Amino acid sequence: MSAAPKSSPDSSEANSRANPPLGLRLDGVVLARGMRVLQRGLSHSMSAGQITRLRGPNGSGKSTLLRVIAGRLRPAAGAIICQAPRLYIGHADALASARSGRDNLSDWARLNGFDATPDHIAASLQMMSAAGFADIPARQLSRGQRRRLALARLLLGPLDALWLLDEPNAGLDGPASVRLDDLISRHLDGGGMVIAATHLPLAPTHKGSDLVLADPQ
Amino acid sequence: MNMLTAQIRRDLALMWAGRGDAAVMLAFFLIIITLFPLAVGPDPMRLQPVALPVIWIAALLASLAGFPRIFADDVRSGWIDQVALSPLPLPLYALSKVITHWLVSALPMLIATPLMAVMLYVDMTRLAPLILALGIGTLALTLLGVLAAALGEGARNSGGLMAILVLPLAVPILIFGTLASSPISSGPVGKDPVGNDPVGYDPAGYDIITPHLLLLMAVTAVLLAIVPVAAAAALAEAEAESS
Repeated sequence: MSAAPKSSPDSSEANSRANPPLGLRLDGVVLARGMRVLQRGLSHSMSAGQITRLRGPNGSGKSTLLRVIAGRLRPAAGAIICQAPRLYIGHADALASARSGRDNLSDWARLNGFDATPDHIAASLQMMSAAGFADIPARQLSRGQRRRLALARLLLGPLDALWLLDEPNAGLDGPASVRLDDLISRHLDGGGMVIAATHLPLAPTHKGSDLVLADPQ
Repeated sequence: MNMLTAQIRRDLALMWAGRGDAAVMLAFFLIIITLFPLAVGPDPMRLQPVALPVIWIAALLASLAGFPRIFADDVRSGWIDQVALSPLPLPLYALSKVITHWLVSALPMLIATPLMAVMLYVDMTRLAPLILALGIGTLALTLLGVLAAALGEGARNSGGLMAILVLPLAVPILIFGTLASSPISSGPVGKDPVGNDPVGYDPAGYDIITPHLLLLMAVTAVLLAIVPVAAAAALAEAEAESS
């Protein structure tokens, strides 16, 4: 029952020499949900400063792939080679509904061992223009507002992190989507990586690559 | 360790925000006990023998009411994904739930126990072993509850499952707990202060550390070693199947 994806140590060493450091490589990844195989033989690679847009019909395994890369699920087969720290923002916003947005952010930072000062948290709230509603319990917020709080977390993590975003702009209004695009652009310019599953345009100024999942049926 | 205390602080803050739930559990405990004098009658001769078992069963049933919620919010909100991906190991997360749940559900019961003991004519000199055994016993019950709650997260509608899973496993805790609460019934009569023949017993003279208390502690220690790891395995798998 080893949690780590299987890869021989010397091959991953060879990969890190061939590619720029802190990249991501998927090697023949097979995604399965219970007994159902969603995707087989997924391969993809990206390096620092790049964005990958994950596309595919509903149920093709986009969320599953993100969770597999994050390390929350094990792939049915194949290897994931990634040295970068990973931040995962899933469908669920992971906000405690009785806690304020500000408290939720500092809880999350402490859980991950990130050193987030109140100023740092205020700045990241400002970045997603969430400061105005950061002090009321999350249960009173709309879906889009909660989404903005969830995304504001990303700024508390390391700069070279790989962001795994599941429908990040779902529920966001126009200005907030622009803010998100800014956020992603800055992260990419700073040497970070982003993989986002989305049906909407995201960070259009960065070309990036597409990873298209086929319909499993 | 910082992450563990952060998680505990978060949970305590959340439980303070939702303190109505803990109050309901305490009320449940008080009501179950209060029903007994009403049903059995106020006669001390009849109430006294059942007093300790009644308090124990009330604690067991009241704890049971709080178990299904232990992980429910964290799983629904997706917080558990963030925990699983964070440097905090899942077993320590499970342990943090044990600690917070015990503080919020069992501690108020322990504080209310002396009052309930008066109502059931428990000898006041006998309160110490009762509270001690109840404190350890509720910790063991909380451990069982965390395990059952973690297992239940994979299955929907786990409320009924909880009772079926926990109650049989709680039998040793109940047996050792009730025996440890009343040291005099656990063997030869208590210490005779003057060394005379032990006719009857001195109500204040007893050994608080009985073999039953040691057995209760042993059960708790075993659960403490197993439950965090088992609950973590259940939580990792449960989430993998359900989302």
